[in-house]
Parts: sequence; structure tokens; C-alpha cells
Amino acid sequence: MAKIKFVVNNQPYEVDVDPSARLLDVLRDELHLIGVKEGCGEGSCGACTVLVNGVSYSSCLTPIANIIGKEILTIDGFNKTEQYRIIADAFAELGGSQCGFCTPGMIMSTYALFLENPDPTEEEARLSLSGNLCRCTGYNSIIKAVLEAAKEGRKRGIKW
Amino acid sequence: MVNKYLPKNLKEALQTLSEHDCYIMAGGTDLMVVKHRSSGLLPTFDKDVIYIMGLEELNFIKKVGENIVIGATTNYSDILKSPIVPQLLKDIVIEIASPSLRNMATLVGNIGNASPAGDALVGLYLYDTLIELTSVRGKRVMPISEFIYGVRRIRREKDELITSVIIPQQHFTNTKWKKVGSRKAETISKITFAGSCTIDQGIIKDIRLVFGSVGITVVRRPELEARYIGLTVEQLQSKTDEILLEYGKFILPISDQRSTKDYRFKVAMNIARDFLSHIE
Repeated sequence: MAKIKFVVNNQPYEVDVDPSARLLDVLRDELHLIGVKEGCGEGSCGACTVLVNGVSYSSCLTPIANIIGKEILTIDGFNKTEQYRIIADAFAELGGSQCGFCTPGMIMSTYALFLENPDPTEEEARLSLSGNLCRCTGYNSIIKAVLEAAKEGRKRGIKW
Repeated sequence: MVNKYLPKNLKEALQTLSEHDCYIMAGGTDLMVVKHRSSGLLPTFDKDVIYIMGLEELNFIKKVGENIVIGATTNYSDILKSPIVPQLLKDIVIEIASPSLRNMATLVGNIGNASPAGDALVGLYLYDTLIELTSVRGKRVMPISEFIYGVRRIRREKDELITSVIIPQQHFTNTKWKKVGSRKAETISKITFAGSCTIDQGIIKDIRLVFGSVGITVVRRPELEARYIGLTVEQLQSKTDEILLEYGKFILPISDQRSTKDYRFKVAMNIARDFLSHIE
């Protein structure tokens, strides 16, 4: 066991856990942030995507030892922001979310994309979401939603 | 009961490794899969674990003389952003896993893992990459083709850490990279191929063919490459069938859940043929 300090959704935490504990399990079981989903559990589906210091991580493969002193953003914190609202509304309006299980990961990956590139091409959007699987939509509506959210962000002069 | 070590610096890490036989955890994208049990349960380790991602002193990409040196905790995303990493290596890295895994996984981890399907390894073999190993006893450097000797088998002593890789800079006139997998991202390769060639006034000065996922280790045959140096491009291309026959002796794939032996062999040969036919 080790005392591990980090920040989640702007709140500092110190947990006493095994350094190999998965970030996903710490977020869900210790911090009760259940917006973070577990799909495949082996880094292939992206449902567990969170941001660590502003870039996407698959929390199912992240040992908690690797996030010491880092800042994590999960869907549970991001959903309080205008940036989230823009992305979520685009997903809702364009059918980018059906069963919804992949959606938290999709939205976090979309946000990670906008932080680097607020004006992506369709190809760039597809590459950025290439680690996120969706078994309902067939992806086209998700990509449309991402491009629409980018457009809306520009219209509103949003700083991602 | 296994112990877990969180060293604060390289010195502490090397001291720990000199006293304990450990799994070395970098980004975790291989070990956390292999040792995973189920949600909510800790991964199981049958020996001690040392976590090295906190070692900032190993997070670097720098030019040292004619070499590019990449540290053990440098992730793939940083490699993609680096202005000094050769484009061929970047072309390989951009097809590894997904954006989130590239933010976590390290190039050195791919070497430590030593899977025959490690994509980065194909590029590193092509560049004659050297592996730097450090322990409390000192440092040593070894070519990657000697360092990896089997499926997940490496010549690392228990007290050593792979601290960096040393990539000699090369200027090729032709390069090719091809990954065959079942999905565009997040796919473990069925076959990979990297080729390079340097032509000067129509003469082959240097040629390298490297195959991944077709045997217990990456396949590169310097003794075959040496035979083609000095040929003209036309002479080389007229020997294509002979060259493929020679390489075919070393392309020994298996059938597994990702692909079959026959498919892998055929496609590896086709990609090599395509590489040779496009040299100019």
C-alpha cells in the first residue's frame, strides 16, 4: 500500500492503495465517480477514457502509481462546463449516443481532441476517436456530432 | 506477498533493482493487461513490482552526436511531437494502439515486452538501434537484435534497467512501412514490414528489409542485405523472386487468433515484393 496524492475534477485526494490499483477502480470504487465506464478492461474500447494533465488516458490500464501528483478530469467533473454542454448537445441532436455506454469515453476523447485541435477535419476527428468503440451508432453520427460541436464552439468563441 | 516500489529517482530505482527481482512497470499498457483479473480486483503479480514512470530524468528525446537518444519513460505521443525523430519511425508509431494508449505507453516498454508483434521493434531493428542498460554496476550497450532473443525474452540482467535507446541517424532515399491488422487503430499486427534503401546514381548503397509478426523475433538478415549492395536498381529488381525465396526461409509465422500461417507468409512476401518494385 502507498499513500498516493492526485487531483480529480479540481479536488485534491489522497488515497491509501496498492500502486497497481487501476485508476478506473479507484475512480469508481473509492471516489464513486461512476461516469467512468469499464468496457473491455484491456485498453481496446475507450469507454474508460479520462484526461490526465489534459491528455486522454485509458483508466483501465493506468496503475494509480502513474498518476501521482497529476490532474485528472472525468466526465463527472467535465459535465459541469459549457464545453461539455456543447459536445453533449451535439451528440444528442445528431444521434451520436444511443445506448450511451461509450458516450462518456467518446466525449472525453472529443474534448482531448479540441484541446489540441479546435478545428479538426473529419479524418482528424476519426483518428482521434479511433480508440473508442461504439456498438450502436456505426460512428458516422458520432463524427458528425464532433464536427458540429467544433463548429458550435467556434461560433460561441469557446476556449477549449 | 510481493513488494511494490516507487523510486523517486534513477539512483533509488537501480538500488532497488540490485536488491530485488522486479517486474518493471512503465506505462502499464502491456503488464496491466497481462496481470489483470477482473474489475475491482488488483492485478496479480508473482514477484515485486517497481514503477518507473515517475522517473522524469528518463523522459527525454535528445540528439547526441549523430544519434537520437530516447529515454525509458518517454511516451509515444512525445515521440510523434518530436522534431528530431525520423519520419519513418513516426509513421510506425502513429499506427500503434490509439491516442490514449500512445499518451501512456513507452517505446522502451515495447522493447522490454519483446513481443514478436511489437510494431516499434520493426523500426528499431531497421535503424540498428542500441539498447542502453544501466545498473549499480554500470552501463552497457547492446544492439536490439542481440538484446531480444525470443518471444518476450531479453538479455536484461535482474539488476538492470533499460534506460534509453540510441538510434543512429540515417538518410534513406526510399522507405516503406506497412502494418496489416484487422482494425485501423488498437490492433495487434498480423504482419508488419519496414524497408529502406539508399540509392546513389542508380546503385544500391544500403538496403534493409525488416519483418514483424512472422517469427519468434523481428526478422532482419544483414547477410542477405549485404549481397544486394552495389547492384543497380534494375539488377536488384530482376532478382526479386530470388530475394523473396531467400527471405522466405526466415519468414516462419504461426497461425493464431489473429491470422494464419499461410496468410502471413503470402502477405509478407507480397509487401516485400511491393517494396522492391517501387525502389527508384
